[in-house]
Amino acid sequence: MRTKIISAIFRKEIKEVLRDKRMLYLIILLPFFLYPVLFTLIGKVGQSQQEKLSSQTIEILLSPELQGTAIEDALAQSEELKMSFREFDRSTIDTMSNGIGIKLDAPFDQTMQNKGTASIQILADQSKDLLKFRSRQIRTVLQGVNQNLLKARIDEAGLNPEFAAPLAISQVDLASDEQQAGKALASFLPMIILMFIFIGCIYIAIDITAGEKERKTLQTIFTAPVKVSEIIAGKFAAVFTVGILSAFMNILSLMVAMMIQVKFMGGEVGSFAISIDPMGWFWLCLIIFLITVFLAALTLAVVLLANSYKEAQSYVSPLMMLIIIPAVMSQMPGMELNSSTAMIPMLNISLAIGAILKGGFSTALVGMVAGMALLYAVIALFFASMTFGNENVVTGEKINFKSLFSFRKS
Amino acid sequence: MEVQIEARSLTKNFGTFRAVDALSFDVKSGEVFGLLGPNGAGKTTTLRMLSGLLTPSGGEAFIAGHSMQNQQQQARSALGFLTGDMDLYRRLNPVELLTYFGQLYEVPKATLTARVDKLVEAFGITEFKDRFCEKLSTGQKQRVSIARTLVHDPEVVILDEPTTGLDIMASEFILQFIKKMAQEEGKTVIFSTHHLDEVERLCDRIAIIHQGKLEHYGTISEVKQRTQKENLADAFFQLVN
Repeated sequence: MRTKIISAIFRKEIKEVLRDKRMLYLIILLPFFLYPVLFTLIGKVGQSQQEKLSSQTIEILLSPELQGTAIEDALAQSEELKMSFREFDRSTIDTMSNGIGIKLDAPFDQTMQNKGTASIQILADQSKDLLKFRSRQIRTVLQGVNQNLLKARIDEAGLNPEFAAPLAISQVDLASDEQQAGKALASFLPMIILMFIFIGCIYIAIDITAGEKERKTLQTIFTAPVKVSEIIAGKFAAVFTVGILSAFMNILSLMVAMMIQVKFMGGEVGSFAISIDPMGWFWLCLIIFLITVFLAALTLAVVLLANSYKEAQSYVSPLMMLIIIPAVMSQMPGMELNSSTAMIPMLNISLAIGAILKGGFSTALVGMVAGMALLYAVIALFFASMTFGNENVVTGEKINFKSLFSFRKS
Repeated sequence: MEVQIEARSLTKNFGTFRAVDALSFDVKSGEVFGLLGPNGAGKTTTLRMLSGLLTPSGGEAFIAGHSMQNQQQQARSALGFLTGDMDLYRRLNPVELLTYFGQLYEVPKATLTARVDKLVEAFGITEFKDRFCEKLSTGQKQRVSIARTLVHDPEVVILDEPTTGLDIMASEFILQFIKKMAQEEGKTVIFSTHHLDEVERLCDRIAIIHQGKLEHYGTISEVKQRTQKENLADAFFQLVN
């Protein structure tokens, strides 16, 4: 292979890409603005929604026995809760647009005097955000009343406060801020990385293969004294570059957006920093590099089978599923990187990236994933070379899939 | 004169359909050779085999003495090929496009700049040389396309319907250039067209293909004599009907 020829093909493809405004918009401008704008918008909307919920009043129906009790006193502290005392049942609450019922199953005062337990039900439609929010508030208020009543009973019985709390349980989170941030990122970043590498690859791969066939420019290069392997290498390098660039731009934009969000929520940007050691960075970069090689080769090989943009897009949709489904599966409870999952394409990549972001990953397993990614990349490149070597693919004729795997002389 | 293009029993099958059936002819240096035939006769398939885009099912093609099957690099280096199925890169300007193909043909850098300048001037590209190819008119595109086939100064040029879709001025410019190329520069040209008047003006010898087979191979006067017709169009119709 002649590097001068490969370089000429690569430079030509990149030059055309950089002159395509749609491509620049999709790969650089859109990700640059998308996440910060989206996150800020979501943050603003979320905050205003929260404020709206906190100020909205609702009506609460209480069993008449609760009138004049400590429960009424406690609930009366919140102005947003408009109380009324009457008998009601579930259907009464159903007919109210914004109402919650607090139902008692026995006379309150008598039960308290007898040192019994008054069973209280909070009836609310939990599918409505406002009612869910208020029912949580009511539950907290009732728990406070419960604590006060319990304390009074303990005092009355002359017991120590510890009598009703044989165990004082507390939870200490050993995860550092960096690990917490890593875990949060690991839940979605692998999918984002894979998707945007793929999206970047798709766009240019279609343009320089099926697009060229549609525009009748692909044949021209095949009449020049250029080896098929050199054409593949040049075009592949262009797809790879755009794929990596697309992933980089998206990750960068995402990070900026998240930092804006942390700042917006009143947090410290520094606490957002993830902790990846130099080895982790090495493996992360290696895996991203290899998976981009794989996705670039795969998309190139698949879209080359198409004779038009439209046809190529129909081939790409199932490929997208192959990336999204394993990435989603990687977030299922109990799904971890082990010697079995390290073999499964795409799932292993998501899990490995996740493990590196969380920290404390197994080098052997991540190395295994890198090895598998390399293997897939080689297979995909082989498939791409088979596709390019088929004369029907080049001339835009109907493709005989049986003949795909016969070498073309170059 | 030296044989520059040779088709030796060229055959191409697409499944059970035989598009080209044992076609043999040769073209000598400095000759303009017309390849004629009705639609679907096998002209484009023949030209694609000669250029190496298609691999023959049987037979062999030679360009400037190099086998297109076994010495493809050398054969392609000696060939400039243009068909109606080829267009220009949208977002390159003519100079960039010519330079790019010069690089693919490994034309030395110093020679390439001079060669591109010469072609830009010879094909009247100067006024639109900085414009992206997608903005060019059909005639301008065709000038750039032909310049592209000549950027590496090939000994052999194959032009498949180069005047299709062009107005009379643009067609005339291209026909004159083909004539000049053969007569003054000694290039060997295969010229395929449906315009028989162009063939009569330009071609030294012709091959008429019908249903993949060679119906006639020789000079224009020979075909007229054989069919007892006064013009090429009548002779052509008689042979293919």
